[in-house]
Amino acid sequence: MRNLIAFLQRFRIFLVFLLLQIIALTSYFSIVNYPRTKWFNSSASFFASLLSMNHQVTKHFDLEIENRVLQNALKKAYKESINTYIPVKTNQIKVNDTLLQLQYNYVPATIKNGTYTRKDNFFTIDKGRKADIKADMGVVSSNGLVGIVYDVSDYYAVVKSILHSSINIPVQVEKINAKGLLKWEIYDNNPLRIKLTGISNDIPIPRGSNVVTTGSSGLFPPNYSVGKVETVKPIEGKPEWEITVRLSNDLRTTQNVFVIENILKTEQHELEEKAKQEFKEE
Amino acid sequence: MNPFIKHSVRFILFVLLQGLVFGQLEIDFGIQIMLYPLYILFLPLEMGIIWVMLLSFLMGISIDYFMNTFGLHASASVLVAYLRPELLKLFSPRDGYESYTEGNIRQMGYTWFISVFGIIVVIHHLYFFLLEHFKLTELLYIFRQTSLSALLTLTIAILSQILFFKTKKIT
Repeated sequence: MRNLIAFLQRFRIFLVFLLLQIIALTSYFSIVNYPRTKWFNSSASFFASLLSMNHQVTKHFDLEIENRVLQNALKKAYKESINTYIPVKTNQIKVNDTLLQLQYNYVPATIKNGTYTRKDNFFTIDKGRKADIKADMGVVSSNGLVGIVYDVSDYYAVVKSILHSSINIPVQVEKINAKGLLKWEIYDNNPLRIKLTGISNDIPIPRGSNVVTTGSSGLFPPNYSVGKVETVKPIEGKPEWEITVRLSNDLRTTQNVFVIENILKTEQHELEEKAKQEFKEE
Repeated sequence: MNPFIKHSVRFILFVLLQGLVFGQLEIDFGIQIMLYPLYILFLPLEMGIIWVMLLSFLMGISIDYFMNTFGLHASASVLVAYLRPELLKLFSPRDGYESYTEGNIRQMGYTWFISVFGIIVVIHHLYFFLLEHFKLTELLYIFRQTSLSALLTLTIAILSQILFFKTKKIT
Protein backbone atom coordinates (compact mmCIF):
# COMPACT_ATOMS: atom_id res chain seq x y z
CA MET A 1 0.00 0.00 0.00
CA ARG A 2 2.78 2.37 0.95
CA ASN A 3 4.55 1.52 -2.27
CA LEU A 4 1.42 2.35 -4.18
CA ILE A 5 1.10 5.75 -2.51
CA ALA A 6 4.75 6.48 -3.18
CA PHE A 7 4.26 5.47 -6.79
CA LEU A 8 1.22 7.69 -7.12
CA GLN A 9 3.08 10.61 -5.63
CA ARG A 10 6.03 10.21 -7.91
CA PHE A 11 3.94 9.93 -11.05
CA ARG A 12 1.21 12.31 -9.93
CA ILE A 13 1.83 14.78 -12.72
CA PHE A 14 1.94 12.14 -15.39
CA LEU A 15 -1.20 10.47 -14.06
CA VAL A 16 -3.16 13.72 -14.15
CA PHE A 17 -1.89 14.28 -17.67
CA LEU A 18 -2.95 10.78 -18.66
CA LEU A 19 -6.37 11.16 -17.09
CA LEU A 20 -7.12 14.43 -18.88
CA GLN A 21 -5.87 13.03 -22.19
CA ILE A 22 -8.03 9.93 -21.77
CA ILE A 23 -11.14 12.04 -21.14
CA ALA A 24 -10.48 14.26 -24.16
CA LEU A 25 -9.44 11.50 -26.56
CA THR A 26 -12.24 9.12 -25.56
CA SER A 27 -14.70 11.84 -26.32
CA TYR A 28 -13.07 12.63 -29.65
CA PHE A 29 -12.57 9.10 -30.92
CA SER A 30 -15.94 7.84 -29.78
CA ILE A 31 -17.41 10.52 -32.04
CA VAL A 32 -15.24 9.50 -34.95
CA ASN A 33 -15.96 5.80 -34.67
CA TYR A 34 -19.42 5.53 -33.17
CA PRO A 35 -21.37 8.77 -33.46
CA ARG A 36 -23.39 8.05 -30.36
CA THR A 37 -21.84 9.71 -27.32
CA LYS A 38 -22.26 13.41 -27.65
CA TRP A 39 -20.23 15.53 -25.27
CA PHE A 40 -18.84 18.98 -25.81
CA ASN A 41 -20.82 20.24 -28.77
CA SER A 42 -22.30 23.59 -29.56
CA SER A 43 -25.95 22.62 -29.09
CA ALA A 44 -25.34 23.30 -25.38
CA SER A 45 -27.54 26.33 -24.89
CA PHE A 46 -24.96 28.59 -23.23
CA PHE A 47 -22.47 28.28 -26.06
CA ALA A 48 -25.18 28.34 -28.71
CA SER A 49 -26.59 31.58 -27.36
CA LEU A 50 -23.11 33.15 -27.43
CA LEU A 51 -22.71 32.03 -31.03
CA SER A 52 -26.08 33.43 -31.98
CA MET A 53 -25.09 36.75 -30.41
CA ASN A 54 -22.08 36.66 -32.70
CA HIS A 55 -24.39 35.89 -35.59
CA GLN A 56 -26.44 38.99 -34.83
CA VAL A 57 -23.48 40.95 -36.18
CA THR A 58 -22.15 38.70 -38.91
CA LYS A 59 -25.51 37.93 -40.49
CA HIS A 60 -25.54 41.34 -42.17
CA PHE A 61 -22.45 40.62 -44.21
CA ASP A 62 -24.16 38.34 -46.74
CA LEU A 63 -27.53 40.00 -46.92
CA GLU A 64 -27.35 40.75 -50.63
CA ILE A 65 -26.70 37.16 -51.63
CA GLU A 66 -29.26 35.97 -49.12
CA ASN A 67 -31.89 38.25 -50.63
CA ARG A 68 -31.28 36.87 -54.08
CA VAL A 69 -31.54 33.31 -52.82
CA LEU A 70 -34.83 34.02 -51.09
CA GLN A 71 -36.17 35.75 -54.17
CA ASN A 72 -35.37 32.72 -56.30
CA ALA A 73 -37.03 30.44 -53.77
CA LEU A 74 -40.13 32.64 -53.81
CA LYS A 75 -40.20 32.62 -57.60
CA LYS A 76 -40.13 28.84 -57.55
CA ALA A 77 -42.89 28.74 -54.96
CA TYR A 78 -45.08 31.14 -56.93
CA LYS A 79 -44.70 28.99 -60.02
CA GLU A 80 -45.99 25.96 -58.15
CA SER A 81 -48.75 27.82 -56.40
CA ILE A 82 -52.29 27.04 -57.56
CA ASN A 83 -53.10 30.71 -57.95
CA THR A 84 -50.72 31.18 -60.86
CA TYR A 85 -52.77 28.83 -63.02
CA ILE A 86 -55.95 29.98 -64.69
CA PRO A 87 -58.68 27.43 -65.23
CA VAL A 88 -58.80 26.57 -68.94
CA LYS A 89 -62.07 24.71 -68.87
CA THR A 90 -64.76 26.45 -66.89
CA ASN A 91 -67.08 23.48 -66.75
CA GLN A 92 -64.73 21.67 -64.34
CA ILE A 93 -64.46 22.39 -60.68
CA LYS A 94 -61.54 21.61 -58.46
CA VAL A 95 -62.22 19.10 -55.69
CA ASN A 96 -60.00 18.59 -52.72
CA ASP A 97 -59.13 14.94 -53.19
CA THR A 98 -57.27 12.44 -51.06
CA LEU A 99 -54.85 11.39 -53.78
CA LEU A 100 -52.07 13.52 -52.40
CA GLN A 101 -50.85 13.44 -48.85
CA LEU A 102 -48.25 15.70 -47.33
CA GLN A 103 -45.02 13.74 -46.88
CA TYR A 104 -42.34 16.34 -46.29
CA ASN A 105 -42.72 19.13 -43.79
CA TYR A 106 -40.27 22.04 -44.01
CA VAL A 107 -39.26 23.77 -40.79
CA PRO A 108 -37.43 27.06 -41.47
CA ALA A 109 -34.27 27.71 -39.45
CA THR A 110 -31.23 29.98 -39.53
CA ILE A 111 -27.58 28.94 -39.47
CA LYS A 112 -25.95 30.60 -36.47
CA ASN A 113 -22.44 29.29 -36.79
CA GLY A 114 -20.58 27.00 -39.10
CA THR A 115 -17.23 25.79 -40.35
CA TYR A 116 -16.42 24.94 -43.96
CA THR A 117 -12.73 24.19 -44.23
CA ARG A 118 -12.21 21.63 -41.47
CA LYS A 119 -12.07 17.91 -41.98
CA ASP A 120 -15.44 17.51 -40.23
CA ASN A 121 -17.70 20.49 -40.56
CA PHE A 122 -20.78 21.28 -38.50
CA PHE A 123 -23.45 23.94 -38.35
CA THR A 124 -25.42 25.24 -35.41
CA ILE A 125 -29.02 26.17 -36.24
CA ASP A 126 -31.55 27.99 -34.10
CA LYS A 127 -34.33 25.40 -33.96
CA GLY A 128 -34.33 22.49 -31.59
CA ARG A 129 -36.45 19.95 -29.78
CA LYS A 130 -39.15 22.55 -29.08
CA ALA A 131 -39.64 22.93 -32.85
CA ASP A 132 -40.00 19.14 -33.22
CA ILE A 133 -36.54 18.66 -34.64
CA LYS A 134 -34.93 15.30 -34.02
CA ALA A 135 -31.56 13.81 -34.84
CA ASP A 136 -31.16 12.36 -38.37
CA MET A 137 -33.40 14.77 -40.19
CA GLY A 138 -32.27 16.22 -43.50
CA VAL A 139 -31.46 19.92 -43.83
CA VAL A 140 -31.66 21.76 -47.15
CA SER A 141 -31.48 25.32 -48.38
CA SER A 142 -33.51 26.57 -51.30
CA ASN A 143 -30.55 25.83 -53.61
CA GLY A 144 -29.41 22.44 -52.46
CA LEU A 145 -28.38 20.13 -49.66
CA VAL A 146 -26.93 21.38 -46.39
CA GLY A 147 -26.60 18.40 -44.07
CA ILE A 148 -28.14 16.04 -41.55
CA VAL A 149 -29.19 16.94 -37.98
CA TYR A 150 -26.71 15.43 -35.56
CA ASP A 151 -27.72 16.47 -32.06
CA VAL A 152 -30.50 18.62 -30.61
CA SER A 153 -30.99 20.64 -27.45
CA ASP A 154 -34.17 22.49 -26.51
CA TYR A 155 -33.67 25.51 -28.74
CA TYR A 156 -30.67 24.65 -30.90
CA ALA A 157 -29.43 21.83 -33.07
CA VAL A 158 -26.06 20.81 -34.48
CA VAL A 159 -26.11 19.80 -38.13
CA LYS A 160 -23.51 17.56 -39.72
CA SER A 161 -22.65 19.42 -42.90
CA ILE A 162 -22.39 17.60 -46.24
CA LEU A 163 -18.77 18.72 -45.96
CA HIS A 164 -18.11 16.02 -43.37
CA SER A 165 -15.76 13.09 -43.79
CA SER A 166 -18.32 10.48 -42.75
CA ILE A 167 -21.34 11.57 -44.71
CA ASN A 168 -22.81 9.34 -47.41
CA ILE A 169 -25.86 10.66 -49.19
CA PRO A 170 -27.46 8.54 -51.92
CA VAL A 171 -27.87 10.58 -55.10
CA GLN A 172 -28.44 9.90 -58.78
CA VAL A 173 -27.55 11.52 -62.07
CA GLU A 174 -30.71 12.93 -63.57
CA LYS A 175 -32.18 11.23 -66.69
CA ILE A 176 -29.58 8.43 -66.60
CA ASN A 177 -30.62 7.42 -63.07
CA ALA A 178 -27.17 6.09 -62.25
CA LYS A 179 -27.02 5.93 -58.46
CA GLY A 180 -24.06 6.69 -56.25
CA LEU A 181 -22.98 8.16 -52.92
CA LEU A 182 -21.83 11.69 -52.18
CA LYS A 183 -18.56 11.88 -50.28
CA TRP A 184 -16.51 14.85 -49.21
CA GLU A 185 -12.81 14.99 -48.47
CA ILE A 186 -10.91 18.02 -47.28
CA TYR A 187 -7.95 17.11 -49.49
CA ASP A 188 -9.82 18.40 -52.55
CA ASN A 189 -9.53 21.74 -50.81
CA ASN A 190 -12.76 23.25 -51.97
CA PRO A 191 -16.06 23.60 -50.14
CA LEU A 192 -17.87 23.80 -53.49
CA ARG A 193 -16.81 20.46 -54.94
CA ILE A 194 -17.81 17.05 -53.71
CA LYS A 195 -17.06 13.50 -54.92
CA LEU A 196 -19.69 11.19 -56.31
CA THR A 197 -18.60 7.57 -55.90
CA GLY A 198 -19.93 4.17 -56.81
CA ILE A 199 -21.01 4.74 -60.41
CA SER A 200 -19.82 1.99 -62.71
CA ASN A 201 -17.62 3.14 -65.59
CA ASP A 202 -19.66 1.44 -68.31
CA ILE A 203 -22.38 4.07 -67.87
CA PRO A 204 -21.54 7.19 -69.87
CA ILE A 205 -21.98 10.30 -67.74
CA PRO A 206 -22.20 13.54 -69.72
CA ARG A 207 -20.53 16.53 -68.13
CA GLY A 208 -22.90 19.18 -66.87
CA SER A 209 -25.76 16.78 -66.12
CA ASN A 210 -27.75 17.43 -62.98
CA VAL A 211 -27.24 15.44 -59.82
CA VAL A 212 -30.34 15.01 -57.64
CA THR A 213 -31.25 13.14 -54.48
CA THR A 214 -32.84 9.71 -54.78
CA GLY A 215 -35.08 10.00 -51.74
CA SER A 216 -34.29 6.42 -50.81
CA SER A 217 -32.78 7.37 -47.47
CA GLY A 218 -35.97 9.13 -46.45
CA LEU A 219 -33.93 12.14 -45.28
CA PHE A 220 -34.38 14.27 -48.37
CA PRO A 221 -37.26 14.48 -50.81
CA PRO A 222 -36.52 12.81 -54.17
CA ASN A 223 -35.26 14.88 -57.11
CA TYR A 224 -33.90 17.66 -54.92
CA SER A 225 -31.11 19.42 -56.77
CA VAL A 226 -27.56 18.85 -55.47
CA GLY A 227 -25.30 20.17 -58.19
CA LYS A 228 -23.82 19.56 -61.62
CA VAL A 229 -21.28 17.00 -62.80
CA GLU A 230 -18.03 18.84 -63.37
CA THR A 231 -15.36 16.29 -64.22
CA VAL A 232 -15.52 12.56 -64.97
CA LYS A 233 -12.31 10.57 -64.70
CA PRO A 234 -11.64 6.83 -64.68
CA ILE A 235 -10.01 5.39 -61.55
CA GLU A 236 -7.14 3.05 -62.26
CA GLY A 237 -7.78 -0.52 -61.19
CA LYS A 238 -11.43 0.05 -60.35
CA PRO A 239 -14.45 -0.25 -62.61
CA GLU A 240 -15.72 3.10 -61.39
CA TRP A 241 -15.80 6.73 -62.40
CA GLU A 242 -14.26 9.40 -60.25
CA ILE A 243 -16.88 12.12 -60.56
CA THR A 244 -16.60 15.62 -59.17
CA VAL A 245 -19.86 17.45 -58.54
CA ARG A 246 -20.05 21.19 -58.24
CA LEU A 247 -22.57 22.00 -55.51
CA SER A 248 -25.40 24.30 -56.47
CA ASN A 249 -25.39 26.10 -53.15
CA ASP A 250 -22.36 27.76 -51.61
CA LEU A 251 -22.52 26.71 -47.98
CA ARG A 252 -20.29 29.60 -46.97
CA THR A 253 -23.01 32.13 -47.73
CA THR A 254 -26.07 30.06 -46.85
CA GLN A 255 -28.03 31.40 -43.91
CA ASN A 256 -31.65 30.34 -44.19
CA VAL A 257 -32.27 26.62 -44.29
CA PHE A 258 -35.16 24.19 -43.95
CA VAL A 259 -35.17 21.13 -41.74
CA ILE A 260 -37.10 18.36 -43.46
CA GLU A 261 -39.47 16.28 -41.44
CA ASN A 262 -40.45 13.16 -43.33
CA ILE A 263 -43.85 12.26 -41.96
CA LEU A 264 -43.81 8.82 -43.55
CA LYS A 265 -40.22 7.98 -42.65
CA THR A 266 -41.04 5.71 -39.73
CA GLU A 267 -43.51 3.89 -41.93
CA GLN A 268 -40.90 3.38 -44.64
CA HIS A 269 -38.34 2.17 -42.13
CA GLU A 270 -40.74 -0.19 -40.40
CA LEU A 271 -41.66 -1.70 -43.73
CA GLU A 272 -38.02 -2.11 -44.71
CA GLU A 273 -37.15 -3.69 -41.38
CA LYS A 274 -40.09 -6.06 -41.65
CA ALA A 275 -39.07 -7.10 -45.14
CA LYS A 276 -35.51 -7.68 -43.96
CA GLN A 277 -36.64 -9.88 -41.07
CA GLU A 278 -38.97 -11.92 -43.20
CA PHE A 279 -36.22 -12.45 -45.68
CA LYS A 280 -33.97 -13.71 -42.89
CA GLU A 281 -36.54 -16.16 -41.61
CA GLU A 282 -36.95 -17.87 -44.94
CA MET B 1 -4.22 43.84 -10.52
CA ASN B 2 -4.95 40.75 -8.53
CA PRO B 3 -3.38 37.90 -10.55
CA PHE B 4 -6.40 35.65 -9.98
CA ILE B 5 -8.77 38.19 -11.53
CA LYS B 6 -6.31 39.01 -14.28
CA HIS B 7 -5.96 35.41 -15.40
CA SER B 8 -9.71 34.73 -15.11
CA VAL B 9 -10.47 37.70 -17.34
CA ARG B 10 -7.81 36.55 -19.75
CA PHE B 11 -9.30 33.05 -19.77
CA ILE B 12 -12.70 34.34 -20.83
CA LEU B 13 -11.12 36.70 -23.35
CA PHE B 14 -9.07 33.97 -25.00
CA VAL B 15 -12.02 31.56 -25.19
CA LEU B 16 -14.27 34.20 -26.75
CA LEU B 17 -11.54 35.32 -29.12
CA GLN B 18 -10.95 31.76 -30.29
CA GLY B 19 -14.60 30.75 -30.45
CA LEU B 20 -16.07 33.86 -31.99
CA VAL B 21 -13.25 35.42 -34.01
CA PHE B 22 -10.40 33.12 -34.98
CA GLY B 23 -12.54 30.00 -35.13
CA GLN B 24 -14.93 31.67 -37.55
CA LEU B 25 -12.24 32.67 -40.02
CA GLU B 26 -12.15 30.43 -43.06
CA ILE B 27 -8.80 30.68 -44.79
CA ASP B 28 -7.64 28.55 -47.70
CA PHE B 29 -5.15 25.65 -47.43
CA GLY B 30 -6.87 24.48 -44.24
CA ILE B 31 -5.18 27.19 -42.18
CA GLN B 32 -6.56 27.52 -38.66
CA ILE B 33 -5.38 30.19 -36.26
CA MET B 34 -5.24 28.90 -32.70
CA LEU B 35 -4.04 31.58 -30.33
CA TYR B 36 -5.04 30.06 -26.99
CA PRO B 37 -1.67 28.29 -26.32
CA LEU B 38 -0.54 31.86 -25.60
CA TYR B 39 -2.77 31.84 -22.51
CA ILE B 40 -1.05 28.69 -21.27
CA LEU B 41 2.35 30.32 -21.74
CA PHE B 42 1.17 33.47 -19.94
CA LEU B 43 0.11 31.65 -16.77
CA PRO B 44 2.39 32.53 -13.83
CA LEU B 45 5.80 30.98 -14.31
CA GLU B 46 5.87 29.44 -10.83
CA MET B 47 2.39 27.91 -11.11
CA GLY B 48 2.14 24.18 -10.36
CA ILE B 49 1.96 22.00 -13.45
CA ILE B 50 -1.20 20.20 -12.30
CA TRP B 51 -3.06 23.48 -12.06
CA VAL B 52 -1.75 24.53 -15.44
CA MET B 53 -2.98 21.25 -16.94
CA LEU B 54 -6.42 21.56 -15.35
CA LEU B 55 -6.80 25.13 -16.58
CA SER B 56 -5.67 24.18 -20.08
CA PHE B 57 -8.12 21.30 -20.11
CA LEU B 58 -10.92 23.66 -19.14
CA MET B 59 -9.88 26.08 -21.84
CA GLY B 60 -9.71 23.35 -24.48
CA ILE B 61 -13.15 22.02 -23.53
CA SER B 62 -14.67 25.49 -23.71
CA ILE B 63 -13.29 25.92 -27.21
CA ASP B 64 -14.47 22.43 -28.17
CA TYR B 65 -17.98 23.51 -27.29
CA PHE B 66 -17.73 26.34 -29.79
CA MET B 67 -16.01 24.49 -32.59
CA ASN B 68 -17.69 21.07 -32.41
CA THR B 69 -14.37 19.30 -32.15
CA PHE B 70 -15.40 17.04 -29.23
CA GLY B 71 -12.24 17.18 -27.12
CA LEU B 72 -9.55 17.72 -29.74
CA HIS B 73 -8.59 21.18 -28.50
CA ALA B 74 -8.61 19.92 -24.91
CA SER B 75 -6.20 17.12 -25.70
CA ALA B 76 -3.81 19.39 -27.58
CA SER B 77 -3.77 22.09 -24.90
CA VAL B 78 -3.20 19.58 -22.09
CA LEU B 79 -0.18 18.32 -24.04
CA VAL B 80 1.17 21.87 -24.27
CA ALA B 81 0.64 22.38 -20.54
CA TYR B 82 2.45 19.12 -19.79
CA LEU B 83 5.46 20.14 -21.85
CA ARG B 84 5.57 23.75 -20.63
CA PRO B 85 7.87 23.31 -17.58
CA GLU B 86 10.40 21.34 -19.65
CA LEU B 87 10.43 24.03 -22.30
CA LEU B 88 10.80 26.79 -19.74
CA LYS B 89 13.71 24.92 -18.19
CA LEU B 90 15.34 24.47 -21.60
CA PHE B 91 15.23 28.16 -22.40
CA SER B 92 15.73 29.58 -18.91
CA PRO B 93 17.68 32.83 -18.77
CA ARG B 94 21.08 32.91 -17.08
CA ASP B 95 19.77 34.12 -13.75
CA GLY B 96 16.60 31.99 -13.76
CA TYR B 97 13.02 33.18 -13.83
CA GLU B 98 13.00 34.79 -10.40
CA SER B 99 12.91 38.38 -11.59
CA TYR B 100 10.19 37.76 -14.16
CA THR B 101 6.43 37.48 -13.60
CA GLU B 102 5.20 36.06 -16.88
CA GLY B 103 6.50 34.95 -20.25
CA ASN B 104 5.48 37.83 -22.48
CA ILE B 105 7.55 39.48 -25.15
CA ARG B 106 8.13 42.72 -23.24
CA GLN B 107 9.73 40.98 -20.30
CA MET B 108 11.55 38.12 -21.95
CA GLY B 109 12.56 39.62 -25.27
CA TYR B 110 11.94 38.53 -28.84
CA THR B 111 14.40 35.63 -29.09
CA TRP B 112 13.09 33.91 -25.98
CA PHE B 113 9.47 34.41 -26.92
CA ILE B 114 9.80 33.34 -30.55
CA SER B 115 11.74 30.20 -29.70
CA VAL B 116 9.51 29.11 -26.78
CA PHE B 117 6.16 30.03 -28.27
CA GLY B 118 7.28 28.83 -31.71
CA ILE B 119 8.01 25.36 -30.34
CA ILE B 120 4.74 25.35 -28.38
CA VAL B 121 2.72 26.33 -31.43
CA VAL B 122 4.38 23.81 -33.73
CA ILE B 123 3.84 20.97 -31.23
CA HIS B 124 0.27 22.04 -30.58
CA HIS B 125 -0.70 22.47 -34.23
CA LEU B 126 1.05 19.32 -35.42
CA TYR B 127 -0.58 17.22 -32.70
CA PHE B 128 -3.95 18.80 -33.37
CA PHE B 129 -3.91 18.27 -37.12
CA LEU B 130 -2.44 14.75 -36.88
CA LEU B 131 -5.27 13.77 -34.56
CA GLU B 132 -7.90 15.54 -36.62
CA HIS B 133 -7.02 13.83 -39.88
CA PHE B 134 -5.63 10.61 -38.39
CA LYS B 135 -4.45 9.50 -41.79
CA LEU B 136 -0.80 8.90 -42.62
CA THR B 137 -1.35 9.06 -46.36
CA GLU B 138 -2.11 12.77 -46.11
CA LEU B 139 1.06 13.69 -44.19
CA LEU B 140 2.09 16.23 -46.79
CA TYR B 141 -1.21 18.05 -46.45
CA ILE B 142 -0.92 17.99 -42.64
CA PHE B 143 2.63 19.36 -42.69
CA ARG B 144 1.68 22.16 -45.03
CA GLN B 145 -1.36 22.99 -42.92
CA THR B 146 0.71 22.90 -39.72
CA SER B 147 3.53 25.09 -40.95
CA LEU B 148 1.27 27.71 -42.50
CA SER B 149 -1.04 27.85 -39.48
CA ALA B 150 1.87 27.96 -37.03
CA LEU B 151 3.46 30.83 -38.91
CA LEU B 152 0.24 32.81 -38.88
CA THR B 153 -0.48 32.10 -35.21
CA LEU B 154 3.05 33.15 -34.20
CA THR B 155 2.78 36.38 -36.17
CA ILE B 156 -0.54 37.25 -34.59
CA ALA B 157 0.80 36.42 -31.11
CA ILE B 158 3.75 38.79 -31.59
CA LEU B 159 1.64 41.57 -33.13
CA SER B 160 -1.00 41.36 -30.40
CA GLN B 161 1.65 41.77 -27.71
CA ILE B 162 3.25 44.72 -29.43
CA LEU B 163 -0.18 46.32 -29.58
CA PHE B 164 -1.68 45.45 -26.22
CA PHE B 165 1.12 45.03 -23.70
CA LYS B 166 2.59 47.93 -21.85
CA THR B 167 6.35 48.19 -21.75
CA LYS B 168 7.44 47.28 -18.27
CA LYS B 169 10.82 48.10 -16.85
CA ILE B 170 12.40 45.07 -15.28
CA THR B 171 13.69 46.02 -11.86
